[in-house]
Amino acid sequence: MVGEFFIPHHQYRAMTNEFLEWGLILSAGAFLLGLVNLVQVNLPKVQRRDTDWQYKAIMLVALVVTLVIGFAGGTARQQPGYSYKWFFDYVFVPLNATMFALLAFYIASAAFRAFRARNLEATVLLSAAILVMIARVPIGESIPVVGDYLPQLMNWIMDVPNTAARRAIFIGAALGAIATGLRVILGLERSHLGGGES
Amino acid sequence: MMKTLFRTCILFMSLLSTAATAAPIDNLTIVPPKASSGLNLSLSWTFGEATTSGPEVLGLRLLRRLPSETEWTLVGEPLAPDTTATSDTVPETGTWAYKLVSVYTDTPEIPKPEALSEDASEEEQASFDAEAAQLRTAWVQTVIERSDALGDDSDMATGTTKASWLNTNPGHLLLLALIALVGGLMMVYTRRAQRGEEIYIRRIPGIDAIEEGIGRATEMGKPVLYVPGIDDLQDIQTIASMLILGQVSKTVAEYQSDLIVSCCIPIVREVADEVVKAGYFQAGHPDAYNASNIRFISSEQFAFCAGTNGIMLREKPATNIYFGRFFAESLILAETGFVNRSIQIAGTAEATQLPFFVAACDYTLIGEELFAVSAYLSKDPRLVSSLKASDIVKVLCVAALLLGTVLHSMGNTFLVDLFKISG
Amino acid sequence: MIRQLIRFQNMDRRWIFLGMALAIVVPLLAPINFPFKIDERVEAIYEKIESLEAGDTVFISADFDPASRPELEPFYRANLHHFFAKDVKVVIGSLWPFAPPMVNPWLEEIAADHGKVDGEDFVFLGFKDGKELAIKLIADDVVKAFPKDLKERDTATLPIMEGKRQLQDFALMMSVSAGFPGTREYVLQVQGQYNLDMASATTAVSAPDYVPYYKSNQLFGLSGGMPGSAQYEKLVYDKYGNDSGLINARPIATQALNVLNMGHLFIVLLILMGNVAFFLTRNIEEA
Repeated sequence: MVGEFFIPHHQYRAMTNEFLEWGLILSAGAFLLGLVNLVQVNLPKVQRRDTDWQYKAIMLVALVVTLVIGFAGGTARQQPGYSYKWFFDYVFVPLNATMFALLAFYIASAAFRAFRARNLEATVLLSAAILVMIARVPIGESIPVVGDYLPQLMNWIMDVPNTAARRAIFIGAALGAIATGLRVILGLERSHLGGGES
Repeated sequence: MMKTLFRTCILFMSLLSTAATAAPIDNLTIVPPKASSGLNLSLSWTFGEATTSGPEVLGLRLLRRLPSETEWTLVGEPLAPDTTATSDTVPETGTWAYKLVSVYTDTPEIPKPEALSEDASEEEQASFDAEAAQLRTAWVQTVIERSDALGDDSDMATGTTKASWLNTNPGHLLLLALIALVGGLMMVYTRRAQRGEEIYIRRIPGIDAIEEGIGRATEMGKPVLYVPGIDDLQDIQTIASMLILGQVSKTVAEYQSDLIVSCCIPIVREVADEVVKAGYFQAGHPDAYNASNIRFISSEQFAFCAGTNGIMLREKPATNIYFGRFFAESLILAETGFVNRSIQIAGTAEATQLPFFVAACDYTLIGEELFAVSAYLSKDPRLVSSLKASDIVKVLCVAALLLGTVLHSMGNTFLVDLFKISG
Repeated sequence: MIRQLIRFQNMDRRWIFLGMALAIVVPLLAPINFPFKIDERVEAIYEKIESLEAGDTVFISADFDPASRPELEPFYRANLHHFFAKDVKVVIGSLWPFAPPMVNPWLEEIAADHGKVDGEDFVFLGFKDGKELAIKLIADDVVKAFPKDLKERDTATLPIMEGKRQLQDFALMMSVSAGFPGTREYVLQVQGQYNLDMASATTAVSAPDYVPYYKSNQLFGLSGGMPGSAQYEKLVYDKYGNDSGLINARPIATQALNVLNMGHLFIVLLILMGNVAFFLTRNIEEA
């Protein structure tokens, strides 16, 4: 895959495309393993009536129901009128949206706890956060006198120091990723394969 | 009969047309591009003197065939009338013949046969396709004849594909050199480390806190929760997380504590299982390994998040370790861990999630520090040397950035152009 | 009073949740619509689409799920209205498995409003697994990546796909992306290689990551989060509001900005009050 970036030859690309398709098939196959693991871990706990076994039972029932209605619907399962579509629209979408919506509350709680002006750096962080939060929304633009300047200041903060810091993180992470990748490719690190020095 | 009718209509309309911005197409040149895959060709041409009579040109169409064939095939989308270059991907290597023709504002659209019903049989579909191909060929022939009659086409030209085994664009070569440099420096520093030379790594409190956290979990009789992110195994952050998990599981086994690993991707779960098993074996406590503690929760992001939260609230781990690639679920996980009063150590190279981890966790490893953890914990000289190598390259990158900024400010774009990666 | 300030700093976080809930619900019931300005990055998307001609074909990669629906659905809808109002053809694919069942009904609803024909004026190709690998395949050969569309028709035979094999054959590419895989992967893997005209609409948390791509002209436009969606909605619905296809269009993001206003204001006030309490109690504790 790394070679594909440097080798444009169509025969090489054909070979890598073949590997990619194999990779996709293997990833799909691994889902079966995941399914087996879910049942292997949770079913005994339900049978033994361990702590909170009811939640595990609900999870297993949901797993079976989703599998059955997914297969029953076939390739048309996403069309209106199918149970799968009903589950998607009225169970999955609200649950998914709810979990994401929790972030709004958790951000408020985390911000209240973490944004204290304990030292100079914390004060700078706190000030930038307040400024960006206010300038990002129309209410900030409507503040008399400063309202016209707040978005410009916010854009400057986002475009200059923020972008500079992100780029620094990207470059550092990219170099770290190259080093880690080379360590793995050259066999210097093998612990992710379950091996390593005894 | 349809073909004759089309030709008659087009010739009749050409007599009635007024206006004129047509020009003959000259010097059609076809060459394989630099760093070609062997299946593409670059075409360029020029225009002759514009004529002042004849119909207005709507655009250009490119035609292609093998030199041994007689029928031309339309390729690509219509080109703007002032286009002077384009490229084409051919179905196989070899020599191909091309021709450019002009299409006029009064040229009818490519005719199509009557639409098939949705439940048409395969024979009907095949017949439809054959008729569509026939009409298309007739249209192409008509366009060629008209364009030729008005002198607004190009002569036939041929070009041969040529595949390259190495992309010799400067940007690509530079990147190759950079990777070779990192590898070379790694070799150099590995040799030095193996000869006994001490390689300094600065203290990273977040990594030191891992052992403290495991110790705390042992004292409290509670497990350690390890979350390797939600991305696939091919992501470098997940690989780095698996490398760290090996060290963590060994330490947990030595402390005789429990380790729960919560995985979002099934294949990551399988690898984590092997890694943890190996860690327990290396620590000399194979009997303490519990496969049911390595859990696949769900491959859906928020279902995984909810499941992991459930583990936190029910099993109440004393220490939560989040190393890998995280997205929106990062804050939800960290906040739930905070409610449990767990020690939380996070590390990710995902810049969008770092603020959430910084706000909610006790220790956060930023970007490349995540990739340094396994070397830091193992103290293996070969691994530590790779950190040194990447640090040297980082210094070179900073130097290139500064030099490039100065040069660019002075109007010299040499360094900026050198680092461009295209094609 | 000091004890109360200390209690305030350590208050049960459920009070914060309650305050946040009120900050969200009240503006929905009693909206105050503050005016807002259009960001140049959003305007760039609008202007580029305005420069397209009738009959051009574009590719949209709809890579989001129900979680990011509030931020991206308004943009997606306005974008479709914009394309259809200009008689531009739309080909949509997705790299996220939960996008098609959510996104396809909106496409069909909006296409019906504009009297567009499936297979000729628009098509939904479905979901392609494989993340970056899928992106490379799509860029190289859209038809091979999606041999059949969502309705099991052969992609190659659809009239809208005539002459369209690679991403570069499309007039432009729009990435409506909530994360990974999405805009960044398209930019890193294929934008430069195929020299694509590409823009992105993304969540507010990801938008700052893509600003460098906008600055280096790898993206010609960038819409971030709900404010970006609201700005784009305003541009489109102000110009095409009288078009018959837009009768059912509702400026969702513009209305949701009221909630964003109050939410941000609540958090800012909370932080300020927390810091006031911190400073007052810190001096006493030190003393």
